[in-house]
Amino acid sequence: MNKKIVKLKIKRRDKPDAKAYWQEFTIPYKERLNVIACLQDIQRNPTTQSGESVNPVTWDCNCLEEVCGSCTMLVNGKVRQACTALIDSLEQPVILEPMSKFPVVRDLQVDRSRMFENLKKVKAWVDIDGTHDIGEGPLMSDKVRAQRYALSECMSCGCCLEACPQFSLTNNFMGAATFSQVRLFNLHPSGSMLKEERLEAVMGEGGITDCGNAQVCVEVCPKSIPLTESIADIGRQTTLQTLKNIFMK
Amino acid sequence: MDQRTRDQIHYLILKTHSLTGLIPVGAFLVLHFSINSLRTVGVWPYQISIDIINNLPFLMWIEVGFIIIPILFHSLVGFYIYFSGKPNPFRYNYPHNWMYTLQRISGAIIFVFLVYHLATTVVPKIWYGNIQFAAAPYLIDIMNQEFKTWDGRIIYAVGIIAATFHFSSGLWGFCVSWGLLIGRRAQRNAGYVFALFGLVLAIMGLATVLEFSLHPVGVEATQPG
Repeated sequence: MNKKIVKLKIKRRDKPDAKAYWQEFTIPYKERLNVIACLQDIQRNPTTQSGESVNPVTWDCNCLEEVCGSCTMLVNGKVRQACTALIDSLEQPVILEPMSKFPVVRDLQVDRSRMFENLKKVKAWVDIDGTHDIGEGPLMSDKVRAQRYALSECMSCGCCLEACPQFSLTNNFMGAATFSQVRLFNLHPSGSMLKEERLEAVMGEGGITDCGNAQVCVEVCPKSIPLTESIADIGRQTTLQTLKNIFMK
Repeated sequence: MDQRTRDQIHYLILKTHSLTGLIPVGAFLVLHFSINSLRTVGVWPYQISIDIINNLPFLMWIEVGFIIIPILFHSLVGFYIYFSGKPNPFRYNYPHNWMYTLQRISGAIIFVFLVYHLATTVVPKIWYGNIQFAAAPYLIDIMNQEFKTWDGRIIYAVGIIAATFHFSSGLWGFCVSWGLLIGRRAQRNAGYVFALFGLVLAIMGLATVLEFSLHPVGVEATQPG
């Protein structure tokens, strides 16, 4: 590998409905470069490999330490965060594409509001407000606390959805991230008061039954969240809810 | 129909699809393979078992209600599932992603195989009225002819392997979807158990094909009394 330069091939799109096209860029090599630093370099001097002056490439990023999820994109064909994609460990040319399962805004930026809408649908919060002081909630065991901590690490980056064969740009599948949040809030002693409503929200088209158990979600999750356990657990919770709906109501 | 009703129907159909793969379709598969494997012991116990089945009261209702309708339901919903996903095992090359892909492919193969299997056995059996004690010699003769050629042997070997894979992998899928297997270790260990189960079923099926191919024996109809 030539250490003096870094070659990048970027899939670009000028506006949401415009046609995508590829451009290649070459930037000087520095030690410990990550993909974001390369994009910043291109931004300073947006000239393609063939010398053509172009608009700078746009992308999303924020924390630069893999906890916000906003720089998620396809790096060499696989979904991951660009901030922790280190050039030294990547094959060149480094191929950058926007996520394919979310609508592209421009270049490498995508609109992931579908994830937020799903979190709203499943009421991914703990209700604590009342018209009066509703007092303290029940205690949580340390075991449940630890279990919830792992689930709470989800940053809604969308890796699990991008890699999922059941999730597409056009269907309404909710996907692993959403189901895991249902589990997270159903595990909370106060949050469990909305348990039935959350389960009803995932018992329909695009809900838990649309999971095909390909288990790619858990493989690509940058936070190693036990997503497949969450899916199976929501499977159990919805099964029990169904039995309750049929035989106990 | 309002969205809530649609959602409830969707949920129940898909949950039932998973269950029908186990009961009655999977249960029938195990029964079918077990009885057919009697052929490896001898043609006589095999013929008795066919005689018993073909003299069952309400046989037509059992066949339609517990076999044909559940298989058709499982297949129709299966094709809906087949076209609802887009497999990506080459891009995301993980074992379970391959299982996901193979589960869909094997389902489609089994459907084609079943059309052939029914059209060459049960359908002519009923069409020509070879029922009760006349069924065994008629069906055994069909199978003897079938396994004389490599075409027949290969068609059945493919069908048997696809069906046993689909069933054992689907059994695992059912346990995960219905929430019986939650932990990662539980899912992995059960996976090994189901794989072994599938392997045993496949061997039973292939041994039956082998026995038919090596020793094609015709039989006379059992005379009651």
